[in-house]
This record gives sequence, C-alpha cells and structure tokens, in this order.
Amino acid sequence: MAVITVENLSKNFKVKVKEKGLKGSFKSFVKPKYNIIKAVKNISFEVEKGEMIAFIGPNGAGKSTSIKMMTGILFPDSGKIDVLGYDPTKNRRKLAYEIGCVFGQKEQLWTHLTPYDNFKFFGAIYDIPGKQVEKKIEELRELFELEEFMNTPVRNLSLGQRIRCEIVASLIHEPKVLFLDEPTIGLDPVVKEKIRTLIKRMNKEYKTTVVLTSHDVSDIEKLCKRVIIVNKGQIVLDDTMENLKYHYLNKKIIDAKMKEKVNLDSVEGINILKDKDYNLKLEVDLKKKSISDAIKLLNPDNMIDINISNVPLEQIISEIYKDGDK
Amino acid sequence: MKKYLYIFQSELMTNLQYTFDILVGFVSYCIMIFIFLNLWQYIYSDPSEVIKGYTMNQMIWYVIVTEILWMSLGGRKLCKKICNDVRSGNITYNITKPYNYVEYSLFSHLGITTLKIFLITILGMLLGIVFLKEFPKLTILSVLGVLLSCALATTINIVLITIIGLISFFIEDANPFFWLYSKLILVVGTIFPIEFFPKAIQPIMKYSPIYVVSYGPAKLFVDFDTHRFIEIIIIQVIYLIIALLIAHLIYWKGVRKLNVNGG
Amino acid sequence: MLMEARNQIRVTRQSIQYALQREMLNKFTFVSNILFMIMNNACFIVQWLILYSLKDDVGGYTFKQVILLWGMASFTYGISRFFFRDSFELSETINSGKLDNYLVQPKNVLIQCITSSVEVSAIGDLIYGIIMLCLFEFSIKNLLLFLLCGVLGAFTIVSIAVIVASLSFWFGRTEVVANTVNGLMINFATYPEGIFKGFIKILFYTILPLGITAYVPIQVISHFEWIHILYLGIGTILFVTAAFLFFYRGLKRYSSSNLMNARI
Repeated sequence: MAVITVENLSKNFKVKVKEKGLKGSFKSFVKPKYNIIKAVKNISFEVEKGEMIAFIGPNGAGKSTSIKMMTGILFPDSGKIDVLGYDPTKNRRKLAYEIGCVFGQKEQLWTHLTPYDNFKFFGAIYDIPGKQVEKKIEELRELFELEEFMNTPVRNLSLGQRIRCEIVASLIHEPKVLFLDEPTIGLDPVVKEKIRTLIKRMNKEYKTTVVLTSHDVSDIEKLCKRVIIVNKGQIVLDDTMENLKYHYLNKKIIDAKMKEKVNLDSVEGINILKDKDYNLKLEVDLKKKSISDAIKLLNPDNMIDINISNVPLEQIISEIYKDGDK
Repeated sequence: MKKYLYIFQSELMTNLQYTFDILVGFVSYCIMIFIFLNLWQYIYSDPSEVIKGYTMNQMIWYVIVTEILWMSLGGRKLCKKICNDVRSGNITYNITKPYNYVEYSLFSHLGITTLKIFLITILGMLLGIVFLKEFPKLTILSVLGVLLSCALATTINIVLITIIGLISFFIEDANPFFWLYSKLILVVGTIFPIEFFPKAIQPIMKYSPIYVVSYGPAKLFVDFDTHRFIEIIIIQVIYLIIALLIAHLIYWKGVRKLNVNGG
Repeated sequence: MLMEARNQIRVTRQSIQYALQREMLNKFTFVSNILFMIMNNACFIVQWLILYSLKDDVGGYTFKQVILLWGMASFTYGISRFFFRDSFELSETINSGKLDNYLVQPKNVLIQCITSSVEVSAIGDLIYGIIMLCLFEFSIKNLLLFLLCGVLGAFTIVSIAVIVASLSFWFGRTEVVANTVNGLMINFATYPEGIFKGFIKILFYTILPLGITAYVPIQVISHFEWIHILYLGIGTILFVTAAFLFFYRGLKRYSSSNLMNARI
C-alpha cells in the first residue's frame, strides 16, 4: 500500500536579480527583474508503507523543496501530493498529527530546557494526554539511549545528542511517516554512524515509513533499501540500493602518497587515474578486484599516506546521464 | 587626514545603497513634524501670540531643526556597534591598525550621517515652507554659520555616543546609558527650547550637552544673532575638545584593562 | 472545535511560560530591563508638565487624562509586546524561513509563531500603565475597563503588525516598512486626539485604528457608554480577521529559506 503518492510535482521560485552598484539598486527598485528558478520539475514517485527511502543529490537539487511540499510547508505550483490520504495543501494540520519532521539545519527545541521538558511540550502540541506522553518518553529514552543527558539543558548538549533529541521530539506522537531533512549534516563520522543505527532500529521497532534526504552517499548506503537521486529538480534515478551499488557504487578511489616513485600499469579492475610525482590515484572496481588486491600492488613500506573514498556523487550522476544517452 | 577622508568616503558609498531605507525613514520624520505642527497650532491660540519669546512659526522651525539633527544621527546603531566592537574584541584588532579607534568611529559614522542629514534637511525645509509659508530671516553668511554649528553639533553628538559605547569596557551592557542619553536629548532638548523650563534649572541646562547638540544650532536658525553665534561656537568647540579628550582617555584605560585581563 | 481551542490555549500558555523562563535566566538583566522601561516612560511626564504650564487643556484633555492616555498606551503596548513579541519580528521570521518549524505542527501557525518569545521590558510597560491608572483615578470599574480596552487594543496592534509583516510574502525584505508602521502607531497614541484635525481623523477611526488603541478607551474610562465598547469590540474583530486572512493568503506564497539559498 502506498503511503505517499506524488504526481507531476513542480515548484518554481522567483528570485529578484540586482545589478551591481547604485544604478543597479535603483533599477531593480523601479523595475524589478526576476529569474525563475525551477527547483522541482515534474517529478512523480510512490512510497510504500514501512519503507526507508532516501533522496540524494547535490546541494540545490530540489530534495528539500520536495520534502517541504510533502509536509505542507511549501505550496506546489502544480501536481498532486497525497500523504496518508491527505492533501498537504488542504489538510496541513490533520496531516501534521500523522507525520514527524526533523530539519538538520533548524532547531525546534527550546535550548534552555531539558530534553524531558521539551518532549512534554511536544506532547502538548500533539494533544497527547500526560500519562501517555510519560510512557512514550520512557520508551524512546531507551531506544535512543538518552539516559545520560535527559536532564541537561539542550544548549549544553553536543550536536549529535541534540539531533537525537530532535528525532525523539518528532516521534512523541507516534507518526506514521518520518521526514528527515539532512539529519546528519555537520556531524563527525562516528556520531553519524550512531544516528544511522538508531534510525534503523526505530524503523524496525515501529514500522515507521522514513523519507530522508542527504548529500552524503554513505548515509544512504547503510540505511535505505531504495534510493531516489535528484539533480536539477528532476529524478535521475529511482532504484533499489542493491542495483545502485552494483552499477555505480562498486568503485572505490584510493589516494596514496609514496616515498618513492612507483611505476604501475593499469590492470583488469584497477584503473590508474593519476600518477604524478609521488602521488597516486587509483580507481578500484570491486566487482573484479578487492581493496586489498589494490593495496598489495603498492608497497606498504613505501607509503606515507593513504585515503580510500567513495566515488563522488556528482560523478555517479554524470555516469547515470551517460548511461541514459546510450 | 587623508585616511580619515577615505573612511568617510567609503561609508558614504555603502550607504547610497540604503536609499530605500532612508526614504522610509522620511515617513517617520514627516510624522513627527506633523504631530508637532498640530500640537503647537493647538497650544498657540492665534499665530501672532508669543510664548517665552517664540512665535508659533519659530517653535515649529525649532523642532524641524532639532529633529533633523537627531533623526539623521542613528545614535542607537552607533552605540550598539561600539558595544559589540568592545565585547567581541574587534576593538583590539583596531589597535594594530595605523589609526585611532575614536577618530575611526567618528569619521566612519559621519559618513553614514552626512547623506541622511542632507536629505532630511531638504525634506524638513520643504515641510516648513509648505506648512508655515515663511522662512526665518537669514543672510547667506548666517546660513553658513548655522551649518557650521550643525556640523559641530553632529560631531559632538557622535563623540558623546562613542564615549557611552566605550563604557562597555567597564560594565557589561552600555546600551541602557544610551537610552538615558537619548531620552535627555529627545524629551528635554528636542521639543522645547531651554527658555520653556523653570528659571532655576536654565543655567544648568546651558552647560548640559543639550545646549551644544540641539538648542544651539536650532536657536541660531530661528533667531540668528552674531553675538550669540560666537558664544555658541566657542562653547561647542570647547565641548568637542573635552569630549574627544575623554573619549581617548576612556579608550586607553579600557584597552589597558583589556590587555591586563586578556594577557 | 471547542476542544481544539482549549488545546491551542494550553500550548500557547505553556510556550509563553517557557519563553519567560528563558528570559529569567539572567536575573540582573531581567530586573534592570523592567526598571529602565518604567523610567523611560516616566521621562515623558516632563514634556507634559511643561505643555500644561502653558495652557490648561491640550487637545481637549486635562492633565489627568493625558496621564491616562500614557497609561493606556503603555499598557496596550505592554500586552502586545509581552505576549506577542514575535509579531513585530514576523517579517524576519518569514524571510529567513523560520516558519518551517511551526508549519509542521498541528496547531495554528500564526498563533504559534507570534507567541514563541516574550519581551521582558514590556513588564515595565504593564506596571507603568497600572501606576498611571491609579494616578488618574482608581476604581474597580476603571480597572476592569482599563484591562478590557488594553486587551482589545493589543489585539488590534498585533493584527496591524501581522498585516504589515505579511507583505514580506509578496515583497521580500519589508522589515523597514513594518517597523515604520509599528512606530507610527506608538507615536500617535501618546498625543491627545484633539490636536489633530480633518483628514487624519478619518484615518484614526479606520485603517490606522488609534481610535481602538487609544482615543476611545480614554473616552470609555472618562464617560462610560456602551456604544463605545461595541465599537471597540467590532473594530478589534475586524482587524484580527483581516490579519488571519492576510497571513494565510500570503502563506501560500511562502518560500521557506529557498530564496536565501538561491541568492548565494
């Protein structure tokens, strides 16, 4: 059963253009010029109950705009949205009882209060009786491991602890769908990992449908079974994580700095991208060779520094476009 | 001197971009003048009446000039900026520059004020002529005299507010002091000339900042008199020198305190 | 419907309480802000003492009535700035995309966002207002009328603030306009009605409702008449309705923080 249905959704923004200097200011005051930015262009998709789905794409691709339209924050220019049987533009408040939202860059908690007081406040916003809130807080406290800082004012918490509290605050009213907009932005890798585990556990426990956005591929790799890649307001790819991994995330980049110059030739599965002075850059195709194979090629004694990373998202997108042309 | 002129010029240029905000500020000015026009028309039962030596038209011109001086000043912004400079430690950054903070603040704020004062003056004069159909008897020479006095008034005002801002070296928030200062100027110095106050406190007011930053130039405008002109200018110059000295003193004391604490 | 209103009031009360707690963290600033505001208001008595030394009545008001006018003005503004402080910052809230958080909550967006912080110095206004009422003439009847007029006036002021701030949905950065209109309402409210003549008076009883926020309340407390209360009530309802209509019409054009991002 589909909990979210989006059909032919579009949204434009009108942005005032100003020329430089005093003359420009005057001109734009008398006769303003506008640029139309097409943030979302005619997208359609469905999300099933209990699914964890990710929107990824570079900054400004239209992920946040899409989420904001699904939650009723922004009014679409055209197209249809149905979330849990509600139209967000008409039944925003009814829908609000059924969904939870976390915006990584915006705080909704009162910073001078403890997480506990905050959760009570959110209970009141969603009209939940006192006892029921207590029970729910207790439950979520265990699930998200909040014991240590339950009574510390939010302003004294670390960013990672805060995000955990933000997520809990948005779960107090047992939403059927949870929207997470860049939940791991600005966090260090260890904390990111922690948040991911907790989200996964929550999804398992409550069968909550989760829609999340990120511009970090590794976020999604570990969390979601399905991925929608967005670029320039359009859906570039809507596929399972497995397929995406098989086709596009099967490559790793190795950057190495050596003591001496090594002469390497490209072999099957290992591609030499750059070989300049003491710096090497290799692309490893994991279908054919493993990372350890690649490292064996290099002499570990000769190595000063090494860095292994995923293929950048921009490159994946451009590869998808190339495939589309074929 | 050249570097201060440059500071002045660059602030003036940036401010040209805020023309729109200034235009909206015009509305506030018009409304203040409109209120006082109505108020004094009510108080003076007929226009030929003279109260405490002022005709109705003179009273309204007086308010037009004092309001120009006060509204163009943007004192709250200046005080806030200096307080922030002190608190954020930006002020120590300025120590390493080859200019003095007091003069820097003075000239950069003069740049902000000049354009505003120019535009509001045009507006104020227009309002006066339209509503009163009369202009005070001034010769070209006395107009120059009034302008000189106005320039000195604005300069003194900025230095005094700089002093208030610099107090934040010693207490946490100096803004309430600015509040009191602005109430003093607004309620006591802008609406009524000194002659309207009880005889007993008039001599005290002659030595207060009100005399040099609002009463002096406005009085010269509505009733120019060479003898009075010389007296006002002399007092203004003395005030300016003393204010600058105090500003420098507070600045150096403050910086030293900061260095001791910061080291 | 009734249930919904009750829940809304419960949340609003809670939110104002928390906001007040936040301001009370620094006790010294808290107290000094209140005291400074009382002193600030008191300064203006000098102005009126001088004016009344020149003439026995100003704009048809006695000195006592001017005292009441000041009391009324500070009390009305006190209520609006204490409980609905963010209605004066609404323009900024809209432009910076801070409405998002309120939009995902199942409560009234406008009420939620204008009650999310309190202005401490406004407590000084409230105290000053009551003191002025006592100087005018204290009686239970006067106090009740004073409170009623204060609340209605505050709703009207907040409505105007919301209407001008909503312009931001259409025109972007309009903070200056909003500030000017709000400042203008205060300036007029502290001068006797009688000094103004002609066209401006029509404005006072229509789109610039000084009638509701200042002049009629003074009449009501000086010489009570039911018809005046009726005018105040109907006027307030009209302004509040207009504010909600404007805000919700504009909300359809809300662009979150997208415009800011696009500008970079």
